[in-house]
Amino acid sequence: MAKIGVFICHCGENIGAKVDCTKLAAAMGEHPGVAVSVEYKYFCSDPGQESVKRAIRENNLTGVVVAACSPRMHEATFRKACAEAGLNPYLCEIANIREQCSWVHTDNDQATEKAMDITRSMVEKVKRNNKLQPIEVPVTRRALVIGGGIAGIQAALDIANAGQDVVLVEREPSLGGHMAQLSETFPTLDCSQCIMTPRMVEAAQHPKIRLLTYAEIESVDGYIGNFSVRVRMKSRYVDIDKCTGCGDCITKCPAKKISSEFDCGLGKRTAIYTPFAQSVPNIPVIDKANCIYFKNGKCKICAKTCQCDAINFDMQDAFEDIEVGAIVVATGFQVQNNTMYGEYGYGKYPDVINGLQFERLASASGPTAGKILRPSDGVEPQTVVFIQCAGSRDPSKGVRYCSKICCMYTAKHAMLYAHKVHGGKAHIFYMDIRAAGKGYDEFSRRAIEEDEAAYLRGRVSKVWQENGKLMVRGVDTLLGRPVEIAADMVVLATAMIAQPDAKEFAKTIGIGYDEYGFYNEAHLKLRPVESSTAGVFLAGACQSPKDIPDSVAQASATASKVLALFSKDMLEREPVVATNNEATCAGCWGCVLACPYNAIEQKDIVDRSGRVIKRVASVNPGLCQGCGTCVTFCRSNSLDLAGFTERQIFAEVMGL
Amino acid sequence: MSIEEQYRTRAKELLSGGAVKMVIGYGKGSNASRRRPIFISSADDVERLVLDDACITNLSGYLVSEGLLSDEKRVAVFLRPEGIRAINILAAESQLDADQIVIFGFDVAGNEVKALKGIHVEEFSDVITSIKESAPEAAEEELFEKIEKMSPQERFSFWQEEFSKCIKCYACRQACPMCYCRRCIVDSNQPQWVNTSSHTLGNFEWNIVRAFHLSGRCVECGNCDRACPVNIPLRLINHRMAEEVLGAFDHFAGTSKTQEPVLASFKKDDSETFIL
Repeated sequence: MAKIGVFICHCGENIGAKVDCTKLAAAMGEHPGVAVSVEYKYFCSDPGQESVKRAIRENNLTGVVVAACSPRMHEATFRKACAEAGLNPYLCEIANIREQCSWVHTDNDQATEKAMDITRSMVEKVKRNNKLQPIEVPVTRRALVIGGGIAGIQAALDIANAGQDVVLVEREPSLGGHMAQLSETFPTLDCSQCIMTPRMVEAAQHPKIRLLTYAEIESVDGYIGNFSVRVRMKSRYVDIDKCTGCGDCITKCPAKKISSEFDCGLGKRTAIYTPFAQSVPNIPVIDKANCIYFKNGKCKICAKTCQCDAINFDMQDAFEDIEVGAIVVATGFQVQNNTMYGEYGYGKYPDVINGLQFERLASASGPTAGKILRPSDGVEPQTVVFIQCAGSRDPSKGVRYCSKICCMYTAKHAMLYAHKVHGGKAHIFYMDIRAAGKGYDEFSRRAIEEDEAAYLRGRVSKVWQENGKLMVRGVDTLLGRPVEIAADMVVLATAMIAQPDAKEFAKTIGIGYDEYGFYNEAHLKLRPVESSTAGVFLAGACQSPKDIPDSVAQASATASKVLALFSKDMLEREPVVATNNEATCAGCWGCVLACPYNAIEQKDIVDRSGRVIKRVASVNPGLCQGCGTCVTFCRSNSLDLAGFTERQIFAEVMGL
Repeated sequence: MSIEEQYRTRAKELLSGGAVKMVIGYGKGSNASRRRPIFISSADDVERLVLDDACITNLSGYLVSEGLLSDEKRVAVFLRPEGIRAINILAAESQLDADQIVIFGFDVAGNEVKALKGIHVEEFSDVITSIKESAPEAAEEELFEKIEKMSPQERFSFWQEEFSKCIKCYACRQACPMCYCRRCIVDSNQPQWVNTSSHTLGNFEWNIVRAFHLSGRCVECGNCDRACPVNIPLRLINHRMAEEVLGAFDHFAGTSKTQEPVLASFKKDDSETFIL
């Protein structure tokens, strides 16, 4: 005989002001099988929980319904309290009469009636609840870090320095990401390469870090603590074990006029190449699309040059399956393509460049060895116009958000320009100067006051060429008049956007993303580095536009989350898993496909002589996440979900 | 030689040589316009086989009879294109091994029977593709169009009227090659989701569940429609669901024996129009 306890919480006035809790308690007390029905102002408080425990002990309750807030809020609290009183925690259920009732209704009588329905239906469910025991699963103490920019490197180093194994996967031939492309960094103006390359080397040489460059994630299966990841090692056509990185092949390669991605099209590279001189690892790759041998079947000069016999034109992509317990996603960002700003002439006039291209011009490792020379004729520009928010905060171009870093890097560009071209004049068109951050406002003031950057508040409407000059027409809204500047070069502060394949990749690893393709955190304020998938963490600009300090801080935060996860031997999992009725299973395997966690396998039913009688589906409780997708798919109703069985749900529905 | 003669000869060869253990085909029915399924396992009986424009029933469902294929011997079967598509689905859903099935393919245009070339299900993929591309109309196009034009309320009362005739005999289920479950959901009574009484609610429950279970799987062979003793136009519901699945996921049931079931599989380029 069921002896159910019903505990009705007022939640202060949250519930009490709309639902007549006394009436509700009386009604529930009349319901068959209910032994105790009481109300209280705050059941989640210490005395509230104590009264639930006391009621369980005194009445030998067989089930508990707490009519209160959402189960997301306090299900764990009350289940723990029940366990402490000796009742299996899965015999406790929450009837949500706050979010789904009192908060959304205005009429007291109707709200009370609805609260009765909700609570009664839960009582009916609890009568059919079973005792469940938590499942323990082991943790693989190895982390996967996806992306070898500053965020990925930082996360990998932090985890590795704590003594845990890390696999660091980068899809480009070298570590470094965007930070390796930068000249100096704000607000200290220290050289980006000088602080980045030692980090790259440290990551590559760390005994706990396994570095896989020129590699991509093919698929991710499994769950927190037990992910199985398939990595595609793209064929470099250079044997990584034989190559010494001497660079002779690069010098001899006859295909020299390929636009360099690392230099944003301002420099050239060969078909066998490393992205930049300080690449880690310092092993070249052959760009198949531009290689003369792959195009014409003749050449192989690199192979002839190589003294180590490291070139292998027959190399194929290789796959490796890696078991990891946690994943840090640090896949970074891309720079928006400015050709959408036809009015600014990007792509039409060679001297209209974007911010990242300016970084390459200003960088000592860049195509001009750090001299600011305009791309069209290599002449030092005497007047430069910088246009901020070229893409950001512009709904008509699809980017409503602020890219966060442009104000600072434009100030930096103006400074670098002033330092390198004495007497040069920098004009900056801006919407607002956003310089929040340690030392940031001082930095932008310095650009204005010491380096004499002329800030003009307003937008630019058009850029065109006239008498060898780039004519920039804009407006100075502070003076309220139009301006026209004859410039030698125009720099667009382009928006930071998500990687073009960010949405695809999110589906591969099973995390959420926003309308722009930036990855969603579990909670914007309280869980900013966790994705919605347990065991997958987010670092750097893949989550939202970020500067270097923010990316590094977030990367270290993910490392602490990973290390906390690795601090346990076993993870306790909810026993809410699916089971299959092998007698009625038709073996159509729809569930095997439908299961997003690959938790369902085929099982042979054999007779005594070992002959297969039939094949049925079998759920691996270690892998099952209890999502219920298989249950809804199963046409013969053979699958059922513990904690949410068909009988329980049916009783719940009929209780309404 | 007529196609009937050709297929009799082929059946005789296969049976006498032991290449197949059984031929499932059509025989004479109770009157001149009816054909009934026959199951021949001796070469002497092939003369009983009939093939003409009255051979309508989709025979593929007999292949999943318990134990028929478990000895791994081959079975030959007379199939129209819809039946061949059904073989693909049954193979994709692991109900049979397509290599065990020898197909006597045929189609009827007007009242002329023509043979379809091929023996194994893979060889008919061109035929199936051409059906997909020709976008077949519903069996009773006029009625289908009429229902499409109705307001939701009118449509609801139309089906309410139709379903009120249902006597829950489950002949539609028994006739359908896709209804191979060992225990149908209507036979599950713990809990009893689908009401067994033949009143409005129970009839709606059953027919809607059936329509959903056949979405992306029905080949529109019409077996259910013909089996229904009270003439509910079941094929129209199935046709509507097939159109829906084709439009939303470009899924045409039974194009290959490895086709993934549309409602159980996820593709990265699936439209997400339903996510707000």
